Amino acid sequence: MKKIVVLFVLFLSLVSCIEIWDDLTIHNDGSGTLRYKINLSSSKVKVNSILALDTIDGKKVPSIQEISSKVGDFARTLDAQTGISNVVIEENYTDFILKFSCDFTSIMALQSGLANAIEAVSKEKLGPEADEIWITWDGNKLKRSIPAFARAKMKAFKSKELELLKEGSYTTISRFDRQIDRFDNPLGTLSKNKQAVMMKSSTYSVKENQDLLENTIYLISTKN
Amino acid sequence: MKNALIYSISLFSSTLLFGQKSEMLIPKDAVTVFSINNINLLQKISMDDLVNYEFMEEVHQELFDGSTSGKTLMDAGIDFDQRLNLFYGKSYQNEISGFTFGVKNKAQLFEVFDDFQELDMGFPGLETYGTFFNNLIIKGNSAILVRIEPTMDYIDQITDSLWFARGNEMPYELYDEFEFEEEEEVLNEEEFVLEEPIEENSFPEATEDPNIKNYYELRDSVQMVLQGKELERLMKELFNDQINLVTTDNRFAGQMTHQSVGTFYLDNSRNFEKSQGLWYFQTVLPSLYKDIQELYTGNVILGDLILNNNIVEFQVQANYGDELGTIYKQMNDSKFDKNVLKYIPESSTGYFTYNVNLRQAYEQAYKVIMPILSDERNAQISMNVLTIELLNEFINKDALFGTYKGSMFGTFNGVKKIKTKKIEFYYDEETFEYGEREAEAEEDMPIFTVGFSIDRSDIPEMVMHHMSRLTSKFKNCGTYWKFDNAILDAAPMYFINRNGLFILTNDEDLAINHVNGYGSEALSRNACKAAKKSGFMYGYVDIAETLNRFPMGLLNPRQEEIIQTLKGKSGQVELTSSKTTSEQTNFNLHYSFTGEETTGKHILDLVNSLYVVTTFNP
Repeated sequence: MKKIVVLFVLFLSLVSCIEIWDDLTIHNDGSGTLRYKINLSSSKVKVNSILALDTIDGKKVPSIQEISSKVGDFARTLDAQTGISNVVIEENYTDFILKFSCDFTSIMALQSGLANAIEAVSKEKLGPEADEIWITWDGNKLKRSIPAFARAKMKAFKSKELELLKEGSYTTISRFDRQIDRFDNPLGTLSKNKQAVMMKSSTYSVKENQDLLENTIYLISTKN
Repeated sequence: MKNALIYSISLFSSTLLFGQKSEMLIPKDAVTVFSINNINLLQKISMDDLVNYEFMEEVHQELFDGSTSGKTLMDAGIDFDQRLNLFYGKSYQNEISGFTFGVKNKAQLFEVFDDFQELDMGFPGLETYGTFFNNLIIKGNSAILVRIEPTMDYIDQITDSLWFARGNEMPYELYDEFEFEEEEEVLNEEEFVLEEPIEENSFPEATEDPNIKNYYELRDSVQMVLQGKELERLMKELFNDQINLVTTDNRFAGQMTHQSVGTFYLDNSRNFEKSQGLWYFQTVLPSLYKDIQELYTGNVILGDLILNNNIVEFQVQANYGDELGTIYKQMNDSKFDKNVLKYIPESSTGYFTYNVNLRQAYEQAYKVIMPILSDERNAQISMNVLTIELLNEFINKDALFGTYKGSMFGTFNGVKKIKTKKIEFYYDEETFEYGEREAEAEEDMPIFTVGFSIDRSDIPEMVMHHMSRLTSKFKNCGTYWKFDNAILDAAPMYFINRNGLFILTNDEDLAINHVNGYGSEALSRNACKAAKKSGFMYGYVDIAETLNRFPMGLLNPRQEEIIQTLKGKSGQVELTSSKTTSEQTNFNLHYSFTGEETTGKHILDLVNSLYVVTTFNP
């Protein structure tokens, strides 16, 4: 899995156009759903050319079957975590789109479940990054940022690869059961029904400024 | 008086011939040698740059320890009036690499080679130094830095022989490699707790007799002994018996008289002789091996590097033995197919033409090789001979060689945007819920064209017709055929079957707009003339436009390494060849460069590329 993770970072760095969507729904009781999508369909030629190689940068390139098997391991491990259920993975190796979703009972269950699953399949200790709180929810306010382990992977990109990242995009959506009062990040856009905030940036900008998509969202109080 | 005159003449000629002594230290086992004559050119090359070349990596890890920092070759105590000779050779028993050079200032030399310890090897008149890997031997004003190592096969052979002779059993279990767990086991550090304190002056109990070596210890000892013996043998040869490559190979001695900036020597016959892939022939079919070996006798490649302002010419002479030469002569006796020139656009930054007659080569090879195989008294070989002879009788050679004549061309037309499909996400403004839809995308694709001369265009036409019935991805588009998603499951491949050529390309523009050639946009008259005039092959590369844009992802690591050595440069490389005779073919690589890099650096880059190519061990 370590190799797969390394390869995945390589994919991200070598393909010129990668689209990442993370979509978090939080219900009033703190439970919710996380949906995550990685879309490499506009770099099919490059991804296929990488998969056709035996090695890249001295590391073995796994087959699609190997990648798929590890993705399956990740899903099973996550599904077994306390507070996590309905883990669904959709793999499309024709267009290279990976979709993942899961339900969670609380924000804390989501964060620890993800950290445990990543640690288990990568056989690599995340260290203090695993304990970092990157989402908080108090019933009226959601604060979210990019997790530390993802930030560390982004830092690993080499300078020659940065130019390629400019063509990719990172979109983050936060959804709620009730309307949003306000939010801190000026990059955010409010949906017409006022129940969702979306932020979009280039993957390069996110790498350069890892607080770029950090946002605190305040909901209209239930007491009103 | 007469004797004195003869003596004076011979002394004078030997001074002229071998005034530069460093070449007299090149071991006879060297199969590849690069000799740089005018090394004044290299004076300004920094040692730091030098040690980064692949040809240096083999011989001196010691130089990577910072002792070269900020120094140039001029500061290294090297005598610039002598040749610098890089050599490499590999046999079944050992691998040898290193370089020989003149020494002007030993104090400066040892500032660079500061890890070498003086050794007493018992050779009077020699100064010998060594590190763990390498040895530096100085005789007078010349020196050889050499690494000679026994090969693992040879070490294993000697070790096994000793091991079994001592009555031991197999040192390791045979196992099924597929039973190995591919996952890396990461062992976490555990805290070691001492339950009982160790008493002072106590020693661990020996579980095995320490006087008896296990297999791996024995192998290490064998390696050490063989390495020492090989070095001693080499030193005796070079310094006691005066046996070196100059005295054992007239062709190499001849090369050393050339005044060109650099010379190149590659003895392909010894490469063949020592090829490990032929061990089966060597051991099971020794007479067949000997016959094939004779075919390769005299197969030596000699080259000269000539410098002229911003032009480097590399003149290469590929020499053949009689029988192999007749095959090459027949193969290269082919009329140039003018049709190919129509399909090379003037804008092409890299192209080649290759003009051979496979039918004649086959007939000649059949004549030369079949008698050798037929004489072999071996059941398997006899069956193979029978099969080949039956195939020769039954196969329609007119159809076979009419379809694949052997002549071909290739072009690299840069990187173009090609249309592909992508999936895009869209969302509604009301809820930010999103869906997916297919959209057009563009991706960079290197554009290649490869074409083959063909007399029987009906045969590929028949194959493509049936392919189109098998899959809807294969379509007849009138003047060309198209195979959708043939390249990396994303881009189409086009097939053009006309004008005596069968062309494969991913260039949509060629298939749609230039199916009969580029017309006025094709190669210029001068470029066509150069290609036609060349012998069996011609090549042209605009370095900046081609190598710097070449998609490295398509290459294996070794090929990538070769290309990397030429990257970042500008200029043109033109490869021409002469008519092939049964003795030789001459090649000329004309490299004109621009830019600020020194000539010496360009030469080293070129030498390095050649080194990487010629020492390639798959």
